[in-house]
Amino acid sequence: MRRLVLAFLVAFAATPALAQPKDTLTVDLPGDVATMDPQLQWDTESYSVYRNIFDNLVTRDVSGKIVPQIATAWHYTDDTTIVFDLRTDIVFHDGSPLTPDDVVFSIRRITNPAFKSPQLSQFDQIASAEVTGPAQVTLHTKSPYPVLMAQLVKLSIVPKVYVEKVGDQKFNQEPMGSGPYRLRTWQRGVQSVLDSVDGYWRGKPPFRTVTFRAVPDGPTRIADLRTGRADITRGLSPDDAESVKSDKSLQLLPVATERVAYLFINTLATPTKDKRVRQAIAMAIDRDTIISALQQGYARPVNIVLTPADFGYVADVPGWPYDPARARALIKEAGANGAVLSFITSPSYDRRLNEAVQQMLGDVGLKVEISVTDQPTFLHRRQGTPEDAGALSQGRWSCACQDADGVIFPLFRSGSIWSKMNNPAFDAEVDAARTILDPARRLEHYRRAFQILREEVPGIGLFQDYAIYLARKELKWTPTANEAFFVMDMKWQP
Amino acid sequence: MIRHLAGRVGQAIVATFGVLTIVFFIMRLSGDPTLLLVPEGATAEQIAELRHELGFDRPLLVQYVAYLSDLAHLDLGESLVQRAGVAGIVAERIPYTVALATGALLVALGIGIPAGVAMAVWRGSVLERALAAFVLTGQSLPTFWSGILLILLFGVALGWLPTSGADSLQSLIMPSIALGALTMSTFARMTRIAVLDELSRAYVTAARARGLSMRAAVLRHVLRNASIPVVTIAALEVGNLLAGAVIVETVFAWPGIGQLAIQSIASRDFLVVQAIVLFVSTVYIGMNLLADIAYAIIDPRIRLKR
Repeated sequence: MRRLVLAFLVAFAATPALAQPKDTLTVDLPGDVATMDPQLQWDTESYSVYRNIFDNLVTRDVSGKIVPQIATAWHYTDDTTIVFDLRTDIVFHDGSPLTPDDVVFSIRRITNPAFKSPQLSQFDQIASAEVTGPAQVTLHTKSPYPVLMAQLVKLSIVPKVYVEKVGDQKFNQEPMGSGPYRLRTWQRGVQSVLDSVDGYWRGKPPFRTVTFRAVPDGPTRIADLRTGRADITRGLSPDDAESVKSDKSLQLLPVATERVAYLFINTLATPTKDKRVRQAIAMAIDRDTIISALQQGYARPVNIVLTPADFGYVADVPGWPYDPARARALIKEAGANGAVLSFITSPSYDRRLNEAVQQMLGDVGLKVEISVTDQPTFLHRRQGTPEDAGALSQGRWSCACQDADGVIFPLFRSGSIWSKMNNPAFDAEVDAARTILDPARRLEHYRRAFQILREEVPGIGLFQDYAIYLARKELKWTPTANEAFFVMDMKWQP
Repeated sequence: MIRHLAGRVGQAIVATFGVLTIVFFIMRLSGDPTLLLVPEGATAEQIAELRHELGFDRPLLVQYVAYLSDLAHLDLGESLVQRAGVAGIVAERIPYTVALATGALLVALGIGIPAGVAMAVWRGSVLERALAAFVLTGQSLPTFWSGILLILLFGVALGWLPTSGADSLQSLIMPSIALGALTMSTFARMTRIAVLDELSRAYVTAARARGLSMRAAVLRHVLRNASIPVVTIAALEVGNLLAGAVIVETVFAWPGIGQLAIQSIASRDFLVVQAIVLFVSTVYIGMNLLADIAYAIIDPRIRLKR
């Protein structure tokens, strides 16, 4: 019996030391990497890890501006031809140089339909890519495409020779890039461990080893942070954030992102077909209360269905005021008092927001019925015919491109699977905006587009969403609006 | 005996096949994963193209036949989400599930059976009532709550055990307790009933009359006879434990089959789900067959009848 107790105590004592040495970083992610091949999935956990293994053609700085990375400079020779000058001092982890061949190979690989990349839709405006010099690549787009640079921020460059040698399957398990970290081990479903690369061209990576652990449960991730088992985590809910505020050893890092929370309103079917009903809905939603009560202040109000972090944002198109009295009057005028509106949703969306909307609309005479299905079924309905899509639903939209073209075009342009609106004037504005390269002229088109959206109300911007990270106090990092997770930008305070 | 077992195995194969077919059609009838794989702005044409590349636009029966043909070649297919072989993905998780199931079973048996015996032998005493309350607690605490409570107490407040992960023997302790608690209660109650039943039999009275102590009577005779219903429950419980403790695995970040199953169902990674169903069915059937064999060993009446 005594020996049993002794054995127990020894087991406890053998618990690994909890204080992290200062040259490692442990990250708790809500899930494991799906694939290490940067071109085979569209998944936050995956790119949180592999963006540290690969470099991209261009990237965004802390303020959100697109800046050089592998490409040092670029210029348009005509509206559909862009020439990129590349760095010549970048090497992959096996020592081989990164050449224009690798850039062209990466582009062709991801735009090849047979490769089945889920990211194809982001790059398929690229018609062709060729090597046009010892350090130069030229891209052609199908038509003038102003969002090209924003999309290229997401293109990781893979090594042609290595990928062709080992094949796609093996490359997925044993990736090799030119980034600040190389993959040491990947235990699927458990964790991936990265080692820093000596002689990395941007400078010395801040940590010798970075471990990404898959921990699905939010409170468990917080417990890991509190005990020092992890140094940083992402994906905290506002309630989680409030619960750790008092812990002196940790710091909350909230950042306003390009993600916009919005309410979709069907203009083609159901009682919301009537514009007056839609405008009434816009005036019945108390967005300030949603921000303070549901989001605990971790959100910013927006006047349109777009955030200030996106190009195309205009501050001077006013949102609808919160005016329940006017809303009730409009609904009576439309003869819609007591109308039943179906609100379709899935567990992926905040249930409390659904119920808040239901209550607020109930106050002005609209009866909202919430219908919950699983995510694929919800998407199927939402993207289906106007009759199938219900009257209302909520969403949190990010194109990961910080451009209005990636937001209001798919959401509201007629013919898009998400759009339940048919407004030729709006279509003309967003069509023009996506084929003009001049930002000032694009902005004018978007201003007019948002004015139409304000009048027609096919949707309401509810708030600019925050991403909330939790880290140990000694970690220095500024998160960005595009939710990039570049370990190169982090360091331990001395 | 062999014929009996062969018959059972045959039944099992038919049952597994039936389950696989049902799961196959149910999953596909409610939609395919293409919508979940693509970024938000993908157009209808781009989605249709990817759907075609992945083969989900083929008629369901065609997909079914293709699946069966792959299965016949022992090819479990490729995961849509991870773009890697399903067999490998599932096989990697099995050791974790086995470890957790073993830990939970040790907790359940180690606490449940002695508790059940004690409750039966000392029936009506304060001890029995205390144990009954303890057993009831084990049965009523939902694991998503007991899990995080354990983490907060032993992980954060006391710092004795790791708060998450599966990298050491210490990290097995809390998940085993959380998972084993419910099974422990089941074993305790089954054991109590079985032992009570045996204690009322004539042979026990006779043995005690001959001068055998209660302790010897229980250990030498009662337990063996009482073990038959307990073995049945044990077989089913092991099947349950191996089928994946989804909630416990999620809360403790334990990378077992349960976590994989729930993630694959949510992302509609069909082939992974089917492989897991295949594994779980096989485990259940195997456990039941083992239980049958165990009966034959424990209970001579069964052996002799055949």
